[in-house]
Amino acid sequence: MGDMILPLEEEEDMKRRNTFSINDNVDLLVEILGRLDGRSLGVAACVCRLWSSVCRRDSVWEALCNRHVAGGGGGPGTRSVVAALGGYRRLYRLCVGPVLDRLAGGPGRAGWAPTREEAAHLSLSLSLSLFSIDCYERLGGPRQRPASLLFLCKPVNVS
Amino acid sequence: MGPYPFGSGTAASGWAAADSGPQCSASEIDGLLAGAGYRVRSSDLLHVAHSLERLESAIGGGPADHLASAEAVRYNPSDLTTWVNSILSELSSSLPPLRPPPAAPVAGTWPDLTCFSLPYPQYQTAVIAATRQREEEEGSAIRLVHLLVTCADAVQRGDSGLAGNIIEEMRVVLTRVNTGFGIGKVAGYFVDALCRRIYSPCSSSSSASVAGSAADQEILYHHFYEVSPYLKFAHFMANQAILEAFDGYDRVHVIDFNLMDGLQWPALIQALALRAGGPPFLRLTGIGPPSPDGRDALREVGLRLAELALSVRVRFAFRGVAASRIDDVRPWMLQVVPGEAVAVNSVLQLHRLLGDPGDDAAAPIDSVLGWIVRIQPKIVTVVEQEADHNRPSFLDRFTEALFYYSTMFDSLEAGGGATQKQQQAVAEVYLQREVCNIVCCEGAARVERHEPLVRWRARLGRAGLRAVHLGSNAFKQASMLLTLFSGEGYCVEEVDGCLTLGWHSRPLISASAWRADADVAPLPDSQLFNPGIAATINSTSISGNDNNNTNNFQSMHHGSGNGNAAANNQQNNATCDGGVIGL
Repeated sequence: MGDMILPLEEEEDMKRRNTFSINDNVDLLVEILGRLDGRSLGVAACVCRLWSSVCRRDSVWEALCNRHVAGGGGGPGTRSVVAALGGYRRLYRLCVGPVLDRLAGGPGRAGWAPTREEAAHLSLSLSLSLFSIDCYERLGGPRQRPASLLFLCKPVNVS
Repeated sequence: MGPYPFGSGTAASGWAAADSGPQCSASEIDGLLAGAGYRVRSSDLLHVAHSLERLESAIGGGPADHLASAEAVRYNPSDLTTWVNSILSELSSSLPPLRPPPAAPVAGTWPDLTCFSLPYPQYQTAVIAATRQREEEEGSAIRLVHLLVTCADAVQRGDSGLAGNIIEEMRVVLTRVNTGFGIGKVAGYFVDALCRRIYSPCSSSSSASVAGSAADQEILYHHFYEVSPYLKFAHFMANQAILEAFDGYDRVHVIDFNLMDGLQWPALIQALALRAGGPPFLRLTGIGPPSPDGRDALREVGLRLAELALSVRVRFAFRGVAASRIDDVRPWMLQVVPGEAVAVNSVLQLHRLLGDPGDDAAAPIDSVLGWIVRIQPKIVTVVEQEADHNRPSFLDRFTEALFYYSTMFDSLEAGGGATQKQQQAVAEVYLQREVCNIVCCEGAARVERHEPLVRWRARLGRAGLRAVHLGSNAFKQASMLLTLFSGEGYCVEEVDGCLTLGWHSRPLISASAWRADADVAPLPDSQLFNPGIAATINSTSISGNDNNNTNNFQSMHHGSGNGNAAANNQQNNATCDGGVIGL
């Protein structure tokens, strides 16, 4: 017989084996998603269950926080402290994200224009302080709703 | 007699005389009008009236008799005519020009002006109406301020009859001003405070009723903390100074003069957890008012802080000292251990210890500053309102307070979004209590004795404390904190190493740091540790986690401190609760 003419299913099977799906390689997916910004991560979490579980990993958010603030992580102990206070994902959502938004939105206050490193370092320390206050308020139990960070959720006054 | 020297009577008679027919000559009318304040000839006045009538009909308002009402603010009509013309000309380029008056009228009568009917676009009428209303309100606001000051002067002189009348008048004006925001709201609070002062004077017994709602005070404080940056600024600056002062020490002790909900300390615990070289052993002594209903509020706060410290692996011990006044606290209650670095933190507390400025008797502040210095703290952080509310004269205090709290309320309003309106209202009650205390109370009941930073500098310097510069780090942190608040008017300034936070260049709160002079004699041990109290110390150690942190759990039980302080002759109102939680 000359060339083998494969039945259709086998041909498609071969095609599948030769193509590449990102979902097959979770580590690669983590690497890629770890380079996104906060909003895109949120969007990516809505794609499918695998992506959602990847986006819930704290390491992804840790990489995001460290990229934007403090240029390389706050030090070896930071991770355990942040984990104890509630995790990087919560830290970004409640503090780092809003802080970065505010900093990007408005001009520097009169008399002080921070360098990038200064802004990064200060954003982290400020975010951590606010985050610890939030964690403390949540310890207060169900009767006390944490409200000290509400001011961060307000829209920026651009008038 | 109101502030306007031209009452309604003269003007009405002026118009009435003009209407009464051709018997009045032009010069008589001029005389009458001059009496009403119009220094213009009646012939010119007619032209003004034409323009005003046009404006009036365009707005679609009522008859023009409001011009003669008692509350109208009267300007010189010769200026008025140019003003009206300018408004008309800029708004009505498409309209037919101003027609001259139809015929030379008989002196003293108004021509029929209803023949003027000019079409105006809707939005222009709205603009004119809004402008007029705003100017009315501004006029009323200025009037309110004037009345408030006059009333305060009457109160100072003891003329309660006049003061009562002015209050009635102010309430009338308040109905016409928007009391939802701005000067209307502030004026409303001050009018209430004045009322309270005149009709139900504050005696020292009623201060107990105010202080008795300590739980309410905590809620108000919490809302004020959430809505405005002042307390956050205070906490962050103090924490920064304390953190820097604790550098290199392994055992540290913080004494907080007003623990409240302990919101200042999570940030410090977290910063200590992350500091280079590892966290120290942190002890916190929180002073607060005793809880009326049996709950131990101080202990609950301590437990929460301890839980937080445990989660971030900072060795922590807490002690609560219940005292209704800080001068009831004695140094031995703080249990200062030799070899540890001590920080004293006072946020808006020291002013309560001041007395009347002219009084030569030793105010409680001096004794408290005395033992603070002799504890030899590494740092004393002082945050105080930047205002002068302790002047001997009531009128001075009142006007100072009026301007200070107007600025403060302004800043609160600017920062609010829709979701925060409710919190803002509660925060305003917090400020309102301060206002009441300043205006209504005297003597020992008045605790809100704010003094400006320069006087605090002098006072703390006399007590033996030297200023520590807060550093550029603190300034940058404060600036960054402010970028997070949406009100754009906040400003941080540095004054000789102290930082002030203000609204539109009026400083409202100041933060400073101090340390004891090296040459001050320390407290003798007998005052640091009172041997008269029988203390049972149980210590068990709980071996920690895989990091080999050894945690000590100590509970100290003291007998109730009333009268047991053998070193003091005065009655001691502070109790030392056995609320020590250690981890």
